[in-house]
Amino acid sequence: MSNLINNLILREKIIDAVREYFKLEKFHEVETPLLVPSVIPESYLENFTTILFDRRRRRKKMFLTASPESSLKKIIVAGLGNCFEITRSFRNGETDSLLHSPEFTILEWYRVGADYKEIMKDCENLFNKISINLGINNSNISYGNTKIDLAPPWEKITVSKALKKYAMVDFDDITGINSLKRIKKIATDKGYNVSKNNTWEVTFNQIFLNEVEPHLGTNGRPTIIYDYPAILAALAKLKKDDPRLAQRFELYIAGLELGDCYTELTDWKEQNYRFKNELKLIRKSNKNKVVQDDTLIKALKRGLPDCSGMAMGIDRVVMLFGDIKDIKDTKFTFS
Amino acid sequence: MTRITTSNFQKGIFIEYKNEPHQIVEFQFVNPGKGSAFVRTKLRNVKTGRVYEFTYKSGESVVEVFVNVSEMQYLYNENGKFVFMDQKNYNQISLSEEVTGSFHQYLKEGEIYQIFIQDQEAIGMRYPKKVRLMVSEAEEGVKGNTVTGAKKTVILETGARVTVPLFIKKGDFVSIDAETGEYVERISG
Repeated sequence: MSNLINNLILREKIIDAVREYFKLEKFHEVETPLLVPSVIPESYLENFTTILFDRRRRRKKMFLTASPESSLKKIIVAGLGNCFEITRSFRNGETDSLLHSPEFTILEWYRVGADYKEIMKDCENLFNKISINLGINNSNISYGNTKIDLAPPWEKITVSKALKKYAMVDFDDITGINSLKRIKKIATDKGYNVSKNNTWEVTFNQIFLNEVEPHLGTNGRPTIIYDYPAILAALAKLKKDDPRLAQRFELYIAGLELGDCYTELTDWKEQNYRFKNELKLIRKSNKNKVVQDDTLIKALKRGLPDCSGMAMGIDRVVMLFGDIKDIKDTKFTFS
Repeated sequence: MTRITTSNFQKGIFIEYKNEPHQIVEFQFVNPGKGSAFVRTKLRNVKTGRVYEFTYKSGESVVEVFVNVSEMQYLYNENGKFVFMDQKNYNQISLSEEVTGSFHQYLKEGEIYQIFIQDQEAIGMRYPKKVRLMVSEAEEGVKGNTVTGAKKTVILETGARVTVPLFIKKGDFVSIDAETGEYVERISG
């Protein structure tokens, strides 16, 4: 019980620090709905569905949000400017894991007029603020057997460089013409069990998880890994000088994946096209069918200003600062 | 030999990994950011005892191998073959030095160990992380030698030699890290 109390107090302090950081940066804190009639179609995750009854007991299929992204973008289109939200998110099926929980606490923030490089700075400054508020020496924190110095600057490495360095895979060899065939050949040569229906994403992620991820954020500093393959960034802007890459980064500290950032895609046609693709993938899978959030496309049509957004798992931040192995121990939850 | 998928994974079952039997020590589901589900496992090689991490695609199929774990008593060393006896049916089985690696020097006659058996053949054993053994031969610590970290070599009841601090005496019980062969601590009593 005392562990739970300690961890709840740690969580409270971390959330206070996050709020203080964004308030000092003059961000607005907003609240957005968790119960929604339509969602961003994302083929790799499973939405919770439920039924809403109206006064006449007519039934309407509703969803619990997997992130507040869609609502926050609409608020930015409406003109609020920089904003953040700390809220719950729901992803069905994500049980049996020390890192995932079907219900979890997410922090999302959006900076208007900024690209992903500026959000990298936010991450460094935010963790600095958390360390100060917790009264800990940020140059010497440990998670498991890993010692970490949280002081900036952090390690920054592109996906392509990390692939080369840790997996000896050349990014040019797995992108472009026949990319699926070529990445499967590389995976097969490496000894992975590659089957006919494996997609590029699955094949890439198996190599990434086995050979690259174990090195991220483990050499004494946090790692920001950036410029992801375009296919792995459904809502991100592509790089102008290399459209194979998306302006996306992920933050890893001591092997924990803590958050994901995009320079946001503002082109509604492109976004609609990517949504349709995701819907096709969902239809082909055995996942719950979803209703596409057309009002987000409408909002993009009205004009989303250039902006960048980051989603961060607050439970995992608590895991890091509390040296907690299991996400369930970071909060009060059912067992 | 049966093929199973990751949804049948359980702690303790044995699967083939890189053509050798491994026991699943730990497993959990993970989703990379914006990615499909995967199963991260820790696998212990049955023969060497070494632990590997491998991440399977969720739904990937693997070969399950049937390995029995038997509690067996170590009897003696017969020309480099280590003979064990099953506690239930008194069958005897032997392990070669190839299988036990350097662990054989800590095998103590009369002790019970877990032996992995496949098709009636011993293919490995569960190596305890630490072993507790008595010191059978030790020189007296040199008087006046108070240099911190001063060490001496002693012989354990199984014949293994190990480097220990000077205060360790004949008849003491010590704990040894079986993997590195390093002294861990003195056990009182």
